Amino acid sequence: MNRVLFGHLWRSQRTKLLVVCVAMTAWNTFLPVIYKSFGQQMKILVDSGVIPRQLTNFGGGDVFSLSGAVAVGYIHPISIILVSIFAIGFATSAIAGERQRGTLEVLLARPLSRRQVYVTTLVAVFLFIGLVLAAASLGTILGSGIVGVAGELTVARLPILWLNGMLLWGSIAAIALAASVSFDRLTPALGVTVAIVIVSYFLYVLGSLWPDAAGLEPYSLFNYLASRDILNGTVDLAGFGLLALVGAVAIGVAMVVFPRRDLAAPS
Amino acid sequence: MDALTTTGLTKAYGRARPRVHLPGRDPTGEVRALEDLTIGVVEGEIFGFLGPNGAGKSTTIRLLLGFLHPTAGSATVLGLDIVRDTVAIRSRVGYLPGGIALYDSLSGERLLDYLGELTGRPSTRRAELLDRLELSARTLRRPVRDYSRGMRQKIGIIQALQHDPELAILDEPTEGLDPLMQRAFYGILDDLKAAGRTIFFSSHVLSEVERVCDRVAIVRRGRLVALQDVASLLEHRKRNVELRVADGDLPSLDGVAGVSAIGRTADGRLTCQLEGDVGPFLAAIAGHRISDLTIEPAHLEEAFLELYEDREPEDGDEIPTAPAAVPG
Repeated sequence: MNRVLFGHLWRSQRTKLLVVCVAMTAWNTFLPVIYKSFGQQMKILVDSGVIPRQLTNFGGGDVFSLSGAVAVGYIHPISIILVSIFAIGFATSAIAGERQRGTLEVLLARPLSRRQVYVTTLVAVFLFIGLVLAAASLGTILGSGIVGVAGELTVARLPILWLNGMLLWGSIAAIALAASVSFDRLTPALGVTVAIVIVSYFLYVLGSLWPDAAGLEPYSLFNYLASRDILNGTVDLAGFGLLALVGAVAIGVAMVVFPRRDLAAPS
Repeated sequence: MDALTTTGLTKAYGRARPRVHLPGRDPTGEVRALEDLTIGVVEGEIFGFLGPNGAGKSTTIRLLLGFLHPTAGSATVLGLDIVRDTVAIRSRVGYLPGGIALYDSLSGERLLDYLGELTGRPSTRRAELLDRLELSARTLRRPVRDYSRGMRQKIGIIQALQHDPELAILDEPTEGLDPLMQRAFYGILDDLKAAGRTIFFSSHVLSEVERVCDRVAIVRRGRLVALQDVASLLEHRKRNVELRVADGDLPSLDGVAGVSAIGRTADGRLTCQLEGDVGPFLAAIAGHRISDLTIEPAHLEEAFLELYEDREPEDGDEIPTAPAAVPG
């Protein structure tokens, strides 16, 4: 961990971070409003059979309960895109992007080990993701308060949801950073990471909407983001452990690969 | 004491034993970017590292700084091993990469501050360097993305030298500098040398190596072709001679020591090439009525080309070397 490099990363991302945090807060404020405004009507529609019930299971959430609405918010593409700005975009460009631009050799000409650069970047990514997810929690609290459903929300469970989100996005960021230290150019690092996330997301959404494909869900990282269960008071520690394991493996790979690889002159 | 030594330093890329052998391809599957490089750079000297693009200059530098891992051989920088002590080496070395890339969004001042802080040593030479390279405070407040190529190169030089490193490794340092700034840069090198600092100077611009370096190593296709002090290299290279006589009685230079390629032009001038001691040549032309005599000064570029044209280094070749001069 290097304080100067961390300061540089913070300064370079803070404006973007502020914008993403505001957007995340706004998005998560919106979900309790949807639940309050349309939840009952949607439930009547579904109960009438006009809409297949399976369609309401998107991403393990629903709009008939506050916890379900919050869960939809966490797994919705808007939320995925917002967190991915740092978990994928920043993480993949942190090393591979610097390498492609040629600035990595200016950085590594200083008395910094590659592991220090990696760990500092990892800490920065985790911090950025943590702040974005905290903004999501803040939005949930604000939205629930605004529409008067705060009584249905157990605020003490939000930190557990935050931790679950951190483990999911932290493991994705660790995969992105492992790709970033393994390639000389940004495009393949980004491509590999995005492919992993898209396949994982596709398996989860397919499994949640189509009963015959439910067996695919355990193969998706998103399956272990148990937002509704956590807000309802259930914690799947095995899921937490699995996400932590995936992250730890990706970190281990990067810690071994990065110091050992040759950094030839940028072409 | 040597500031930098390499012993049999070798870097190969690719698979040593390829799974598939393709016709027409190197059966080893390897590309040898650098092979068996053995040099020593004496503390306090300016050492030129010469070679055309792709000769292995940047590979050597990247090995010294720990960006690449050697396939074979070893090297030390300031007495530290390049594999084990790479971070310690980089705390005492200043490095200017060839075609340096900078953080475009930062201002020049913020960039120098940032890189200085990362180095962890006070930027004691920055003010002097800014002054010598004519970078004003106003310029430094502008973002780097607005800088011209020459200004970027100046920033690159300053970031490499601002913390007064014991050894400066400079890859093509005058690239993009105008002649005035090149001269200012040579002045900076002279000052650093006077202060006892060591400069490892990679270039393919021979005239500047001739101007600033004490010794020069020449590499080609990853192998050392020559390692000599610049004065010796120039002394032993052929000089072009052209003379005219007033009465048409041209001296006979056949068999004169050091004289070769004797010829006569249509307008009656005598041309030849002269190598080494000029005494026998002067004795041979003495007594003739010389109306004009031109001996072109030796240029490193020609010596360099001669080395390249005359020989292809092979295994077991003896590399022309001269002992390291003690810098004064």
